[in-house]
Amino acid sequence: MKIEHVSKFYPGVTALNDVSFELKRGEVRALCGENGAGKSTLIKCIMGVEHLDKGSITMNYDGEWVVNANAVEAQSHGVFANYQSVTIAPDLSIAENYFLGNQPTKGPFVDWSKMLEESQKVIDKFEMHVDPKAKIRELSIAMQAMVTISKISINKDIRLVILDEPTALLENDKVEILYRFVRELKEKGVSIIYISHRLEEIMDICDTVTVLKDGTYVDTLNVSEVDKDRLIAMMVGREMTDIYNIRHFDPGEELLRVENFSDSKHFHNISFKLRRGEILGFVGLVGAGRSEVMRALTGVEKRLTGDVYIRGQKVNIKNPTDALHHGIGFLTEDRRADGCALGLSIKQNINMSSLEMISKLGFINLRKEARRAEEFSKNVNVKTPSIEQLVQNLSGGNQQKVVIAKLLCRDPDILIFDEPTVGIDVGAKQEIYMLIERLTAQGRGVILISSYLPEVMGLSDRLIVMAQGAVTAEFDKEEIKTLTEEDLLRKASIEQ
Amino acid sequence: MMSNRTVAHQNALSQVFKRTEFTLGVIIIVLFVLAGTLTKNFTSAYNLTNLTKQGSIVGVMAVAQTVIIITGGIDISGGAVAGLSCMVMALLQTRTDTPFGLTVLACLAVAVLCGFCNGVIIFDLNVPAMIATLGTQTVIRGIVKLLCGGLNVTYTDARILDIGTGKLFGFIPYLALIWLCVAACVFIILRYTTFGRNLYVIGSGIEVARLSGIKVRKMFYLVYSFAGLLYGIAAIMLAARVGMAQPGTGEGYDMSAIAAAVIGGASLAGGRGAVTGTLLGTVLMVLITNAGTAFQIDPYILDVTTGVLIIFAVAMDMIKTRKKA
Repeated sequence: MKIEHVSKFYPGVTALNDVSFELKRGEVRALCGENGAGKSTLIKCIMGVEHLDKGSITMNYDGEWVVNANAVEAQSHGVFANYQSVTIAPDLSIAENYFLGNQPTKGPFVDWSKMLEESQKVIDKFEMHVDPKAKIRELSIAMQAMVTISKISINKDIRLVILDEPTALLENDKVEILYRFVRELKEKGVSIIYISHRLEEIMDICDTVTVLKDGTYVDTLNVSEVDKDRLIAMMVGREMTDIYNIRHFDPGEELLRVENFSDSKHFHNISFKLRRGEILGFVGLVGAGRSEVMRALTGVEKRLTGDVYIRGQKVNIKNPTDALHHGIGFLTEDRRADGCALGLSIKQNINMSSLEMISKLGFINLRKEARRAEEFSKNVNVKTPSIEQLVQNLSGGNQQKVVIAKLLCRDPDILIFDEPTVGIDVGAKQEIYMLIERLTAQGRGVILISSYLPEVMGLSDRLIVMAQGAVTAEFDKEEIKTLTEEDLLRKASIEQ
Repeated sequence: MMSNRTVAHQNALSQVFKRTEFTLGVIIIVLFVLAGTLTKNFTSAYNLTNLTKQGSIVGVMAVAQTVIIITGGIDISGGAVAGLSCMVMALLQTRTDTPFGLTVLACLAVAVLCGFCNGVIIFDLNVPAMIATLGTQTVIRGIVKLLCGGLNVTYTDARILDIGTGKLFGFIPYLALIWLCVAACVFIILRYTTFGRNLYVIGSGIEVARLSGIKVRKMFYLVYSFAGLLYGIAAIMLAARVGMAQPGTGEGYDMSAIAAAVIGGASLAGGRGAVTGTLLGTVLMVLITNAGTAFQIDPYILDVTTGVLIIFAVAMDMIKTRKKA
């Protein structure tokens, strides 16, 4: 495949500027760059979804150089992708999604038995342990991501596979399965373009890496020739030796104590403490119950038993409003679903959960509202020309910052960050780490849930490991220093 | 960063022109001038008063509808609710000795109660708003017919009839005045109060609202009850204009009200809508009928025009949203 002098302009923005490179058969090529570097646009151009303004993209299909003018042509030439935002039909079954648009038929009817059989094969291959008849809606987000990836393998004639952030939602054991799939494709001579914010993965699985920055081509290198720091430097144009290196503080008085927390099915007998200035990390596989504990703690979901003490006082949190009033800020896993109102402005989003603090008799002080939005968006460094900008027009990292600003408006003592850096670029990640550092310096306590081990290990003062709804291990600061990822994973996958 | 700024700058310039209100305003002015210069009776005082009267009842209901559409809901029971409150007031006035003030209060209370029921059914029973209000609409219509035995009840109290014919300073009909007051109040509520702001958040996503500490259940009860209150006001206006409560009073008003809100830029997906747009949407709809009559165009053709306008307004909205995404 050849990409020659490709440019793409959006109104007011140059998304791609004169990008050229080639891709060989059976090559696994990583595509690197910060959010907004032009990766997604390039992918859309390759898939024929967007049209180029300049240049050409051609691929060698059985000796003939062809252009993919639209998505259908791309598929007929064997180009497949998992789209970053999961594009599957939520009310259909896994099998139906696999064969969406080309169901096996028997005469005029869909051949259900064949469809289920073939789907089962794929499910087994990817070790998903689910029923092919299960509806997508009933699956976890991680499993949905697996469906979009495994869907690619249904196709017979595969030439080029584009994996856009395939592991963003996956757990480590599933990542192994993905790697196996990538290697298998490679052996068959399929070319792969692999996009990931997790640079360790690129080192693991890719042959070569192409770096894009602000829509322009930087360089292509063999993976064996580069290291992580060099890649980051190329992507952001600055050196970042260790992004997890933040200042830590001596923990102060107890802020939060949770005792014997249980709900009906996700977790049981969970107890832990959080102190001022402390970062408490939660590690576990998907389904371990980490997010569920936090959702119950903040009143989002119901719990059966258990007590919560804040600064030594027993409190009864029945709903998210109570949690906010007790000084708990909760940054949820899925910011697009329950974190920010995409269609509203930055100003409205930041003030959303604390309007009564700037209102009298139900009337909002508009000047205070604007001033507060300015102040807090500056505080967390949202990159935007105006606070009137709609949140849907911001990059993932900036959206995340807006949600954090919203929480900070209430000046919470306890902050719970559930997967705060999923799908955001390295630069924004580092800013969020610096922010966490600042919050703990102010004497707040932070609970950090992350599926990304280097992150949670690098940042936490203390680690709690959960598996199947129970705490299986706890590590303090000294122990973390000598801890390896393998040790943690072993604790996280203990069978009960 | 630089390019972002340029975009923002262009936006600021073209924002005014892109607004739904601007487009609607231009169309209204053009229509007005055309009808005013080309036909004889359009600009007569009689016709202009008539025009505002026609608009006022739909106008009030459209404001109620806007508030609900902003939360991502829809309410097709408004006409029936107004019909019931109108009937209750008529029966109390003609068949009992209830003091006048209490009959008006009863009218409003019935409407608020109906709205509250809608809120409970939609939030607590989790019935989609369209179906829930279709159900309550049918139930309420049934109750109206049971109450009146299928017969019209004529208003005799002059205080009601005066609202329909009276004018402030001799040229502003009371009906239009009520319409403008309602619109102004809701405009302020949506813009300056926490209640109003929270409606937009709920429309953008119920989970987002809940996790932001907004009491969503209370808000649902409040917003549907509030819409009910506005239907109650519309009921009084209907009584004043028609002079009687009929089994079918208020029929057809919901759809016109929804249409006016949608033409005015309210998005059925929730999170977007404004009183100013709805106000202009109502004016445009009434103007089409009224100017059409002045031009002596077949009223059936006017129905077709209004229908096309609704589809066009929503299609434009979808194109705009798609471009942004």
